[in-house]
Amino acid sequence: MLSWSSREAGDDATALPHGAELRAFAEAVAGHDDDALTRARAALVAATDERFMLDAAAVAANFEMMTRVADGTGSLLRQ
Amino acid sequence: MSVRADLAEAYRVASLHAVSPGARFDGARRRAIAQAALDAYLDPAPAPPWVRPYGDLALDVAHRLGAHAATITREWYEQVITEGLHPLEWVEVVGVVITSLPSAAFARAAGLDLPALPTAVAGTPHGREADELAPARLNFVPVAAPADQVAAVVQALSALPDEWDVLWLLAGAQYMSDRQMDDPLWNRGTLSRPQMELVASRLAALRDCLF
Repeated sequence: MLSWSSREAGDDATALPHGAELRAFAEAVAGHDDDALTRARAALVAATDERFMLDAAAVAANFEMMTRVADGTGSLLRQ
Repeated sequence: MSVRADLAEAYRVASLHAVSPGARFDGARRRAIAQAALDAYLDPAPAPPWVRPYGDLALDVAHRLGAHAATITREWYEQVITEGLHPLEWVEVVGVVITSLPSAAFARAAGLDLPALPTAVAGTPHGREADELAPARLNFVPVAAPADQVAAVVQALSALPDEWDVLWLLAGAQYMSDRQMDDPLWNRGTLSRPQMELVASRLAALRDCLF
């Protein structure tokens, strides 16, 4: 699922509507700088709306979960 | 802020599940495991991966999953099992961590107050496990037989059906269900599928998740 996600998203976030704001938000969620997260969240809400940001936060939370499922169980891609 | 009702309900169910008796641990033990993972996840400067801050196998696995999940190897898993943690206890620790951490991750991302873990639910471990277990090629943990018929993350927690059920309840509310995934155009009217995958892939890359 995770590598599938990477293929689907590609490398050029700015090609997507609000891609730059989404990428900055995901990066801030993965970090520990609360001020950076506050700024990234506000920028995403300004570019979209609160409902959009909440769904982005849910997707981020999902992959905080799925990465730990994969890492904690030694999940390998099928050869 | 108004959180979707289905998402709020999924987090309520998952948080209660995390502190309720499981297959091998009682509710108090599971709550301690969840708290160790949350403390590690929220710590901006956690102990390095090779440090075992608790001197307790289950809590140290939870700590490493919370703070340094990508550093967990088959060799470390086997070492911990050799030291006395049963393989299904390891699976249960993973289940507790991944059902307790997402609500905190969501709250932090969304700028909401961090939720406290519920009080532990009294009772003894229920012992529910898959009818038949099998070693897997795609995971280092045992899984429900037959092994390796589905993707590794899908079979990852299948040895403990209650943990598996809550994992996929959360995945459906936070991201999408298997059925929704089959429709490349499905979305909630907010993020498009490529936008969802951008968040997913960036997060997974920054977590050094190689899967």
